[in-house]
Amino acid sequence: MPVITVENLSKTFRTRVRSEGLGASLRALIRPEWRTVQAVREVSFSVEEGEVVAFLGPNGAGKSTTIKMLTGILTPDSGGARVLGLEPSRDRTRLAMGIGAVFGQKSQLWFHLPPSDSFRLLGAIYEIPAPELARRRAELVERFGIGPYMDVPVRKLSLGERIRCEIAASLLHAPRVLFLDEPTIGLDVVVKREIRALLADLRAREGVTIFLTSHDIGDIEKICKRAIIIHHGAVVVDESMKTLKHRALARKYIGVKYAAPADLELPGLAPVKRTEDAASFVVDTRKHNLQEVIRALVDRGEVLDLTVEDEPLEDIIAEVFRGRSEEEARGAARAGGEAES
Amino acid sequence: MIAHSLKGPGRTGKPSAALRKYGTAGLVSLQSRMAYPAAFAGSLLTYGLFVFVFSRIWAALYSGRAEIAGYDRTMMVWYFIVAEIPAFGFGRFYYSLAEDMKSGQVAYLLTRPYGFTAYHFSQALGPALADCLVLALEGILLGLLLGGPFPLTTLTQGAALVLSLLLAGCLQFFLQFAIAMTAFWIEENAAFFWIYQKLALIAGTFLPLEFLPGAASAAARWTPFPYLSWAPARIAVAWDSREALLLLAAQAAWTAAAALLCRAVFAAGRGKITANGG
Repeated sequence: MPVITVENLSKTFRTRVRSEGLGASLRALIRPEWRTVQAVREVSFSVEEGEVVAFLGPNGAGKSTTIKMLTGILTPDSGGARVLGLEPSRDRTRLAMGIGAVFGQKSQLWFHLPPSDSFRLLGAIYEIPAPELARRRAELVERFGIGPYMDVPVRKLSLGERIRCEIAASLLHAPRVLFLDEPTIGLDVVVKREIRALLADLRAREGVTIFLTSHDIGDIEKICKRAIIIHHGAVVVDESMKTLKHRALARKYIGVKYAAPADLELPGLAPVKRTEDAASFVVDTRKHNLQEVIRALVDRGEVLDLTVEDEPLEDIIAEVFRGRSEEEARGAARAGGEAES
Repeated sequence: MIAHSLKGPGRTGKPSAALRKYGTAGLVSLQSRMAYPAAFAGSLLTYGLFVFVFSRIWAALYSGRAEIAGYDRTMMVWYFIVAEIPAFGFGRFYYSLAEDMKSGQVAYLLTRPYGFTAYHFSQALGPALADCLVLALEGILLGLLLGGPFPLTTLTQGAALVLSLLLAGCLQFFLQFAIAMTAFWIEENAAFFWIYQKLALIAGTFLPLEFLPGAASAAARWTPFPYLSWAPARIAVAWDSREALLLLAAQAAWTAAAALLCRAVFAAGRGKITANGG
């Protein structure tokens, strides 16, 4: 059963623009100029209970705006969304009981107080009976390993410690859907790995539906089963991670290192990087036979090392964005040409 | 999974749950305020300095005069002490609300199951009441030293003063909240707050309403401004049970009207929330 359904969701913002200089500032007082930005355009998708979905896109693609509409913060201009059967902008407070939200750049913990005080307040806000709150708190403290930080003022915690406390706090009321907006932003590799493990564990233990936006491909590869890619406010890809990764099969990254300098010129295939005794190739398997390329490389000299890797997910997603932008540019040029003629 | 989440989204709606919710918000906010006890020192020092300077001004003004507009020197010292308590203790809600609006924090607060205005109210009132308590203790001490005996003598009179101060605090909150929420439409609304502060200052905070020219004084009574400081100060220094009841009733009516205004402004502006990023 879907817990999130989104149909033709759109949101437009009107932003005041000011040109440079004092004259422009004075003109803006009398005649302000506004720019309309279509942040989200006719986005549709649905998410099943227990799914872990990556919601991806470059900066300004409309990811956070969509999450804000799904959590009831923003009201859509048109289209509709239902989360846990409720309309977020109308049933904000009722919906809040069933969802959790972590915005990586905004804290829900009181800065000058230890997390234990914020937990107590959240327990009261979510109307969790005292014994249940104590049990749930103890469980989360243990699972997230935040015992040593519970009585330290938040301002004295490191970013990684704070984010662990933030996610634990957002789970206090056992939400059925968890929205995470850039949860690992600014974290080091070790802490990122810990957070991902905690999220995977959460999904396994409680069946929580996780809707995650991130710029970090590692987050997506490790915990998500499905990816929705949004570009210029519209959904351009909505497929399983498996299918998305299959796109990687079309291209292989080959690295080779020889014992001595070797001739690395292959017919129709130039190395993307090379030294006297090493080179990297990107092989499009639709044009070149992988086995023949490897055989040709092995024949060039004594091989010390040879690696064959799939195309990184980051590159696949970048390719999707690039392809979409070029398509849009071509469309705009066509429209311009038709208008001129 | 904890039991209540199995029932799906929904609130109990019980008054005890609301009391716990908003009570805890007030207490946690108070704790946060008390994390830096030195923060009290600033307002204590400024308040003390104001009371001292004005007690000297009244001493000079009243030399050779028994009373002005029905107030003698002792009354004026105590008037200023009481009138400044809500001005100092409750007068700065706008700044934190406006900051939440400008930083976009207001949007993130909407993901919680509480009444937005009620939550802000409890969060603002908790520390403000602590500020007022500390200021009142300082004010009583200064009043006894600089003015004379405390003018109220019975428990009923004391309770009326406390109630009037509380209503003044609530009215301050709702009016400042409504001004802060105009940011939904106007990017910079600090000018409105500046005007609000000045109107409150001349309509009873700085001087009793009776000091204003007749027409101005009569007109001011039809606005909420005298009920921010003049009403509690008047109850403290010129006790009359009938007048006190009327003042408390007027304060309650203005507070209710301001609360409704807040609800309306928030409901009208909520759809205009835009959040940075995305």
